[in-house]
Amino acid sequence: MLCDICHKREAKIYYTEIINGEKKEQHLCEECAAEHTSFHVKMPVKGEFTLGNLLSSILQGYYNNEEQKQEENANPNPVCPRCGMSYEEFLKTGLLGCADCYKSFGSAILGSLKNIQGSELHTGKRPKGYVKVKEVSKPIKELSEIDKLTIRLQQAVEREEFEEAARLRDEIRARKAQEEKEEAQKEGAPNA
Amino acid sequence: MRKWYEETAENGDVVISSRVRLARNLRSYLFGSRLSDEDAVRLVNEVQAAAPLVKEKDGKRYFLCNVNRLNEVNRQAMVERYIVSPTLAAKKQETGLILSEDESVSVMINEEDHIRIQSVTAGMDLEKVFAEANFIDDILNEQLTFSFDDQFGYLTACPTNVGTGLRASYMLFLPALTMTGRVEKLSEEMGKYGVTIRGIYGEGTKSQGCMYQVSNQKTLGRTEKEIIANLDCIVDQVIKQERRRREYMLQAGYDEIEDKIFRSYGILKYARQLGTEDAMTLLAQLKFGADSGVIKLKGDVNLHILMMDIQPAGLQKLLGKNVGSSVRDRARADYIRNKLPEIERGRSS
Repeated sequence: MLCDICHKREAKIYYTEIINGEKKEQHLCEECAAEHTSFHVKMPVKGEFTLGNLLSSILQGYYNNEEQKQEENANPNPVCPRCGMSYEEFLKTGLLGCADCYKSFGSAILGSLKNIQGSELHTGKRPKGYVKVKEVSKPIKELSEIDKLTIRLQQAVEREEFEEAARLRDEIRARKAQEEKEEAQKEGAPNA
Repeated sequence: MRKWYEETAENGDVVISSRVRLARNLRSYLFGSRLSDEDAVRLVNEVQAAAPLVKEKDGKRYFLCNVNRLNEVNRQAMVERYIVSPTLAAKKQETGLILSEDESVSVMINEEDHIRIQSVTAGMDLEKVFAEANFIDDILNEQLTFSFDDQFGYLTACPTNVGTGLRASYMLFLPALTMTGRVEKLSEEMGKYGVTIRGIYGEGTKSQGCMYQVSNQKTLGRTEKEIIANLDCIVDQVIKQERRRREYMLQAGYDEIEDKIFRSYGILKYARQLGTEDAMTLLAQLKFGADSGVIKLKGDVNLHILMMDIQPAGLQKLLGKNVGSSVRDRARADYIRNKLPEIERGRSS
């Protein structure tokens, strides 16, 4: 079927408009729909149809629409500490700066992967002799025990509960020492 | 040494070739967009240093080169023969290549990802090419450490490749579906199953000579085997549809088709100037005629190779010099005329 407006291109959109109770139906092509109706087809402007553009519109769409809003308020434009790429920069090109960006951009990336790939978990091949790297594979959002204790410490200080604060401070110290000890042991041990 | 595309193969009337590409990145370097020029040189050297190991384990002969240092014509010719991607050929930074003698295995270095392992064969056999690429991946992994994450799998510069890093594709010859205007519809249908169809030189390229590249869209959440099985399933359907259309066209409109094919032969045989697109369309019609037995050509001629030979850069390489497009059109016509065998017989003559 041809478009009702230009009568040239194939109609791809069935557009129904109800204004003041009056119903109007049209079969339109994408171009005419964009021009003559309030229906917004997410299509990059003329000729600029590159994968990067397409991708960033998908990513952006997700980032703006879903519960990411909250995080957006907290940190609208996270920057990867390893390569210095910002999330906004990534949205423009669709290309990440380094392997760490996957963690640096946290749940925003997770959401976009779901969008693009329909999945967020790799089930295929693993490199031979691959050993799980403790630091890298920990989701960035998860707070460690020490982080939680630090927050509680801060709250205790604010409430002027100094006894509790002192107890928390000691516990944090003890845990840090413990962690350092484990770290040293691991590094000293031969690779499995 | 025969090149991969000189072999004859199964389902060759529709499936021209099968190709697999694996994207890998080294843990110690930033991705392409952030890679410094010095690191690019180091990266290429580090990966190429693994070539002897590949040679030793694979048993094939391999060549190394730095693609950015080749001249424009040579780079373009590599793209036309599917050895390197347009992205790699266009890069100014240091880029490297490890290429097997039969051109069936190539390792591109510093493409969009640090490493792109590619394996290709004539006809329909993704399993074989995947096994080959997977084998090369294992060998490289012995010497290099790849970026890999428990959850996301192989980490790639673009999230569209993350996970398996696998893009499996078939190059299909679809004259009947093209002539009946079915390809666009087909493309929509395939999209629903996570399969894309596009021009022969990959992303953003136009289809020429009824040739299309069909590949998986998603790389995460499915195993390599599942990705390949899914693609095979879809392509099987496409093959069936294309054959059915061909049969129908030959039955319902034989005279018209026969005329078209012989006209194409006539132009190819006697034209004095031929542009690339023109020649590709005519050769596609002739190939369709030869595949379906409407026209019989004397001797063995591989029309797909002829299609590759007459691309602009390949032609200039054959001529041994850089020439403008009008001279090329003349040279292309000459080349085809010389290569095209005589007609043995038509079905109705």
